[in-house]
Amino acid sequence: MAKEMTLSGCAAAAHAVKMAKVDVICSFPIRPYTATMMELSKMVANGELDAEFVHGEGEHAQLSVVYGASAAGARTFTGSSGVGVTYAFETYSPISGGRLPVQMMIADRALDPPGDFGSEHTDAMSARDQGWLMGWSENPQEAFDNHLINYRIGEDPRVMLPQFVCQDGYFVSHIPGKVQLPDQAQVDEFLPPYKPGTHVLDPRKPVSHGPQIRPDQGAIMDLQRAEAFLGVPQVIREVVDSFNRIFGRNYDPFLDQFMTEDADMVFFMQGGHAATARHAVRHLRQKGVKVGLVKLRFVRPFPTQEVAELLSKFKGVGVIETSTSYGGSMGGGNLLAEVRASLYDCSKRPLTTSFMAGLGGDVIPLHEFYWMAEVLSKAMRAGKVMKNVYWAGFEQAEA
Amino acid sequence: MFNIPKGREVPFGCVTPAPVGEQPMMITGNWREYRPVIDDEKCNLCGNCVVFCPDACWQFNEANDAVVWNAKYCKGCLICVNECSHDALSKAYELDFPDGVVRLEKPF
Amino acid sequence: MAVQVKTQTLPTFKKLRQMPKEEQYVPGHRTCAGCGPALQYRLVTKAAGPNTILIGPTGCMYVANASYLCTPYQVPWVHAQITNGGAVASGIEAAYQALIRKGKYQGELPNVIVMAGDGGSTDIGLQAMSAMMYRGHDALFICYDNESYANTGIQTSPTTPYGGNTTFTPPGKVIPEGKKLFPKDPPQLVIGGHPAVKYVATASVAYPVDLMNKVRKALNVKGPTFMHIHAPCPKGWKFDESKTIEMARLAVQTGMWSIYEWEDGEYKYQYRPKEFKPVKEYMKHQKRFAHLSEEHIAKMQAFIDAKVKAPGVPVKIPVPGPRQEG
Repeated sequence: MAKEMTLSGCAAAAHAVKMAKVDVICSFPIRPYTATMMELSKMVANGELDAEFVHGEGEHAQLSVVYGASAAGARTFTGSSGVGVTYAFETYSPISGGRLPVQMMIADRALDPPGDFGSEHTDAMSARDQGWLMGWSENPQEAFDNHLINYRIGEDPRVMLPQFVCQDGYFVSHIPGKVQLPDQAQVDEFLPPYKPGTHVLDPRKPVSHGPQIRPDQGAIMDLQRAEAFLGVPQVIREVVDSFNRIFGRNYDPFLDQFMTEDADMVFFMQGGHAATARHAVRHLRQKGVKVGLVKLRFVRPFPTQEVAELLSKFKGVGVIETSTSYGGSMGGGNLLAEVRASLYDCSKRPLTTSFMAGLGGDVIPLHEFYWMAEVLSKAMRAGKVMKNVYWAGFEQAEA
Repeated sequence: MFNIPKGREVPFGCVTPAPVGEQPMMITGNWREYRPVIDDEKCNLCGNCVVFCPDACWQFNEANDAVVWNAKYCKGCLICVNECSHDALSKAYELDFPDGVVRLEKPF
Repeated sequence: MAVQVKTQTLPTFKKLRQMPKEEQYVPGHRTCAGCGPALQYRLVTKAAGPNTILIGPTGCMYVANASYLCTPYQVPWVHAQITNGGAVASGIEAAYQALIRKGKYQGELPNVIVMAGDGGSTDIGLQAMSAMMYRGHDALFICYDNESYANTGIQTSPTTPYGGNTTFTPPGKVIPEGKKLFPKDPPQLVIGGHPAVKYVATASVAYPVDLMNKVRKALNVKGPTFMHIHAPCPKGWKFDESKTIEMARLAVQTGMWSIYEWEDGEYKYQYRPKEFKPVKEYMKHQKRFAHLSEEHIAKMQAFIDAKVKAPGVPVKIPVPGPRQEG
């Protein structure tokens, strides 16, 4: 029965996983994603969800358990946060290379040191080269939707890849929001049961999954995965289109736009702080500042083409960085380099700079967005950016 | 979309079919320096050679009245000669045999 | 929620001639000539039969068998990391529980067998092994013990014997015995601490009928089971490859290896000598012990004398520990 509930991001994820009728779940507690597993364990205990709920002995084990379960033909779910995500790191490439469409929820959290429960995207972003799909949800509704969307994309025979479905720790995982829950029939129409390929572990059709390759085959294994990734954007488009149709939503596959129609400059970001950004954009517009917001829905595969086409329309882009890349080319976060690389071949390129914000659990208050817009405006008036990276809230008086 | 040189292809997800009966992509008969030789008169079919071979190169025949040696895969470890309970097995230099296997230039 | 219970019962047998003829671990693998682990793999899979899924953590029984892009496993097999054999097996078992219950798989619950080396069972793989035992998955965890990290070129593992020369415990002026530490006892790690485990057994390639019957017994148990199989390694222990079975037999005859079952709290021995041969009789054949003095061998003898007295009683090592003077 379709209904509206008020759910945290964690609970919304649990409801999506339940409606996706997963077969095997593997849990291990770590803040702030734990609530999802608590919800799922209740659903399993009450008989609302028929799944094996396996108590993993750690995050590395969680991923290992779902690797085995997926190889045996089950639809699987697991999740983690912060150092749990990095503890499991060894398993990410085997799962991706083994073409197993495992789904992992990441409610992001700043990495140690020290123990900081606050939100930061660095944990998940550190795994972005491992061959998984990855994207953030802005609110519990989008989290619910993205879990279903990612199962469908990942299990598509043209894709067969695992997915990191991310949401900001606390800001999305814990703050409740309105979630339209669909009918089970709608979900069943959108997401058929998982049909494993011929690589399933089945005594009736024996295979050897993952033998040692010859030294001259290593590059080809990489190439195969790269090729698979080249085909993913098309599948994303089809799936999001189908989702919008069946559930009555209006997602763009890659880039969500807000007040960009006649914008001179835009904020470019991913994740939960986009909710604040929308308010900031409205306020700035009321003051006559022609600013908009572009929100990234998938960071892997990065929508290079779409980013180039859209961002080249503007005169200035302020990239909000919610993860760190120490010693990286931009000296700040991860997204600016990806944006500039996407824009490199465009004949018309906007000025771009980046703002480190929302790190270590920080809120990005409205006045910081106003400040960022001011910095960007100044750069556009001067015709060049002064710096590639600004640490919002910590810069000296002169921007 | 890309040009993969022949012979270097990797199957999807690095998943290969399981072998049936033997694994011809890893023929090991060319490893041995010595081969076991059986004196069927002395053999009492105790089955030691059959059970102790890591490569399953001794098998009972259909009628279960003799043991048969697998020349294609035998590595010449000579466990069978060591464990034979009735001195029916002995070792002989591989290249003394007309069908003696010479080490290939490429090991695989 | 219903638990899928295995209904197959694999029968045990008395004579070697009664063992199944069919091979599930077929000729054509890159293991060393005379490889003990390869032999136990063959016997285990022969006993288990075709309704089996194998999990292969990284180690000799992965790399040597699965080179290159081909394996000798006639039954389904999946690679696992050296760290997570128990966890991957748990996932496969859980998947089959769910898929059978939901009607997505029509068939008998398959045998799920982890083939982990001593490192993958008691060292880097210990956590996953213990968790599988704790959670009660219907699966068999086999520790094939060649007493080293063999695949990477023979380095010490927690089951390498005292005095064993490995490339991480070479003998030298300051450390004349090479390896100072006494080994872990894998079955004892499992017994008693995991309430869901009802059957633990040790076996040796020297006693193949006993080994195969224990595999079948373990697979018939509905729940997690553990087997510790002695699998001598000619390359690592430095003995002639034709003597693999002889070494395994001598290990039992000297007390260096004990063959027993633990079932629902009761210990039962097999092939227990009335009188043990001195450990020297075993060690003298293996160049990994060639550097040891009489004093070192005496320490080994004292350790073994204590160990064979009673299973389950912690053995006090007869020498000062590594951090003590002595």
